[in-house]
Amino acid sequence: MSSIHVAKPDLSEGNVRLGTAGLGVQQGAGLVGIIGLVASAVIGFGGMFGTTPTFLMKSWTQNYMFVLAISLGALFFVFIQHLTRAGWSTTIRRPAELIAANLKWAWVGLIPFAALWFSGGSHVEGSDAAHSNWGPGVLFPWADLEALKAHHPAEHDIVAAKSAYLNATFFWIRAIIYVTFWGVVSTWFLRTSIAQDATGDIRLTEKMQKWSGPIAIGFGLTITFAAFDWIMSLSPAWFSTMFGVYFFCGCCTCGFSVLIIAVLRLQSFGRLKQVVNREHYQDMGKLLFAFGMIFWAYIGFSQYMLIWYANIPEETGWFLGRQIGGWGTLSFVLLFGHFVVPFVALISKWTKRLSWYLLAAAIWMLFFGWFDLYWLIMPEVPADAMTAKTYMEVVEAHADASTHIFNPLNFTMLAGVGGIYLWMTIRRMRGSTLLAIRDPRLHEGLSFENQ
Amino acid sequence: MSSIRADQVGGRIVDNTTEVPGTRAPLVLNMTTFGQVTAQVAKVSEAGRAPLAWYVAFAGSLGLLGLLGVCVLYLIFTGVGVWGLNTPVAWAYDITNFVFWVGIGHAGTLISAILFLFRQKWRTGINRFAEAMTIFAVMCAGIFPGIHVGRVWVVYWLFPLPNQMEMWPQFRSPLLWDVFAVGTYFTVSLLFWYTGLIPDLATLRDRAKGRLQQVAYGLFALGWRGSNRHWHRYERAYLLLAALSTPLVLSVHSVVSFDFAVSQLPGWHTTIFPPYFVAGAIFSGFAMVVTLAVPAREMFGLKNLITLRHLDNMNKVILVTGSMVGYAYSMEFFIAWYSGALYEKFAFVNRAFGQYWWAYLLMVSCNVITPQLFWFKAIRTSIPLMFFLSLVVNVGMWFERFVIIVSSLANDFLPSSWEFFTPTWVDIGTMAGAFGLFFTLFLLFCRFLPMIAMAEVKMVMPAANAHHDEDGHHHGTPAPATGGPS
Repeated sequence: MSSIHVAKPDLSEGNVRLGTAGLGVQQGAGLVGIIGLVASAVIGFGGMFGTTPTFLMKSWTQNYMFVLAISLGALFFVFIQHLTRAGWSTTIRRPAELIAANLKWAWVGLIPFAALWFSGGSHVEGSDAAHSNWGPGVLFPWADLEALKAHHPAEHDIVAAKSAYLNATFFWIRAIIYVTFWGVVSTWFLRTSIAQDATGDIRLTEKMQKWSGPIAIGFGLTITFAAFDWIMSLSPAWFSTMFGVYFFCGCCTCGFSVLIIAVLRLQSFGRLKQVVNREHYQDMGKLLFAFGMIFWAYIGFSQYMLIWYANIPEETGWFLGRQIGGWGTLSFVLLFGHFVVPFVALISKWTKRLSWYLLAAAIWMLFFGWFDLYWLIMPEVPADAMTAKTYMEVVEAHADASTHIFNPLNFTMLAGVGGIYLWMTIRRMRGSTLLAIRDPRLHEGLSFENQ
Repeated sequence: MSSIRADQVGGRIVDNTTEVPGTRAPLVLNMTTFGQVTAQVAKVSEAGRAPLAWYVAFAGSLGLLGLLGVCVLYLIFTGVGVWGLNTPVAWAYDITNFVFWVGIGHAGTLISAILFLFRQKWRTGINRFAEAMTIFAVMCAGIFPGIHVGRVWVVYWLFPLPNQMEMWPQFRSPLLWDVFAVGTYFTVSLLFWYTGLIPDLATLRDRAKGRLQQVAYGLFALGWRGSNRHWHRYERAYLLLAALSTPLVLSVHSVVSFDFAVSQLPGWHTTIFPPYFVAGAIFSGFAMVVTLAVPAREMFGLKNLITLRHLDNMNKVILVTGSMVGYAYSMEFFIAWYSGALYEKFAFVNRAFGQYWWAYLLMVSCNVITPQLFWFKAIRTSIPLMFFLSLVVNVGMWFERFVIIVSSLANDFLPSSWEFFTPTWVDIGTMAGAFGLFFTLFLLFCRFLPMIAMAEVKMVMPAANAHHDEDGHHHGTPAPATGGPS
């Protein structure tokens, strides 16, 4: 085995600090973000383009989950490197730490949820327009059992039985636990790693390794229940033991894609030159390929196949909502866009080593990470899913179900949340070194070579 | 990687379980040259006599194998009525053993394929016998679907062979998918194992003194001469086989889990089954590797090649996968409640408090609670404790399959048809006998084939690095904590 020898890695300020280079992009992103949010508010609250409060809130949830998944994926990347004492990744761990550290602000995304509870929109007895009123029931049907009873009596009985878990108090206690855990852990990793830049103390590495184990356990449990609370409970009668794992795959897709994009863009700004090379591209590509794509497909297939095969109405309704009308097409777009096409595109070695190609693939995968969340969050389980006699009866009754995928709100909300997230990320990157310059295993990251 | 060093402290085995960040602990202890590795590993199969312990173990295993033969023949000549099956428990020990052995068979391919792709160099010390173990475990697993069909003389009907009756197997049945999944897994694992063996078989051939050994090893070494071209092709083949085996690690136990999860039976039908079964399989497989590695390294004096670090790492994998299994148990329980489905809820309460509560308790305590002891390094690196815990995991994982299969069947939708399954002596004899087959094959392997992948272990020694010893005094001095490679 030979190894690449970087005679003297360039650890100068100019190579490991962004300085003012990203300022233009940062400001642009912030501007796009503000415009996007304002436009979303105008469209959503004004009811333009046929949007409803539910659609607005689901759109927010989808995009919040999207940026959350990016940072959670990055956090997973960081602690798994410590857990396995990886050497290869030392040169790209700092960007991941910076992306993960955005979780410090994860609580902000909960404000619109909280606003629902404070919007005073408690259900008016006997009102037929329960769904157009504001209130937590707009997003979480379990939070307004009265309305659920009035409109979906069959579902109501199932959901009412879950109220020991699905109730406002416990929901908020859990939400606070999740965002606190993520914020504390990701900030701690970043701070500890930055502290090592100054001292080069290897005990800091040992400390991060030691805590990565318990953090992994906390991470697994929090993302699982967050996925149950914020995505699965949107269709509160439905359930799947696999759901937490499915969301974990989504985190890998989004997080690893953004890590690739971030590293490659930093290089195009003339940063991280030499220290990140084709070997790292290939390995990041492999991780995206394995976890963000194949594992996702494996989990998605298993979940779908088992529910389809057993064909129990309580479970199939959720997928039925994703097969009727335009949703059938979207489901196929997801299958091909998230798995079939990128599988072919990224399986070869050379494709992962070409920066422009890998960048394009990562952007593609990131889009489908977003698209997957749209597919998870937006559809409604058809009301007649459990009562209709045949599958075709439901399909025909909802033949014109619209996916609203081209509704302008989808784009303004993505621009708004994504823009603010990008602004925050670049701002953070500009305030820190981009490389863990005194990581004790840095020399391994600089010199490793794929077989 | 250039920073792997060999610490040689005057013939004494040093503690390589601690690793200062920035350096890599040595994976081979007390060795400097490739020749020493060859001599030590080859010695086992070249020795005229095996250690006494080997003969004792072999005699015991042969005895159990005989028991298997008796039980299987009695079954075939009498009928499956000799088992304790009843209505509604039509699957019990047979399928439990099948799933148990398929699970055991997962560690080998994980170590040789996935850990290879993850560049985990420590795998080289244990991959050969873990792969052998995989193959033997899959053989044991294969017995059970074969004999539980009742009329074993038509067992070839499992395969989609055209026949004059135009009867085809049910392609929509996961039981048929199993035939393909396990068959493919066995074939690829065998090929992978054999490919890895070729250079080592050539080594044994070249060292052999007797004519018989020369011919036997020579035949299977396929004319390996160790030329550059041979090595180049060997490495490409190895990489490709690793890539092909990786999805198989996931697919086999996923398909096995489909046997249960596609049904509508409460306790069987749950979407997390595929990854949960895979995690459980790796968990039990690694436990079995530890169970075998601890005595084997003792018996054949291989402690410097299968070091405490290897065992420590395996125990960490057991901890991780055991926790994943615990996660799956919790999700099943939580969702059984959350689903609001009456039968689903009952199935899980019944598991924990029904007539099989003791089996459930055993399963949870062996698979989830006791492996948590591996959080402590003192326990991960204690030979007696890890050996004991690995046995505990083996027991727990057998009971996991028993709990899943039997408790859901015994108490199904109609209380009037509930039954209790009691195994007969044939059930127990067949289960014990399968261990006889497994250990017999494994002991023969240890005795006659290179138990450690010599060629691969050499690749992770410092001497394999072109830059090794450039400055002549690299041994024993830790690499600087920072800075580039030597």
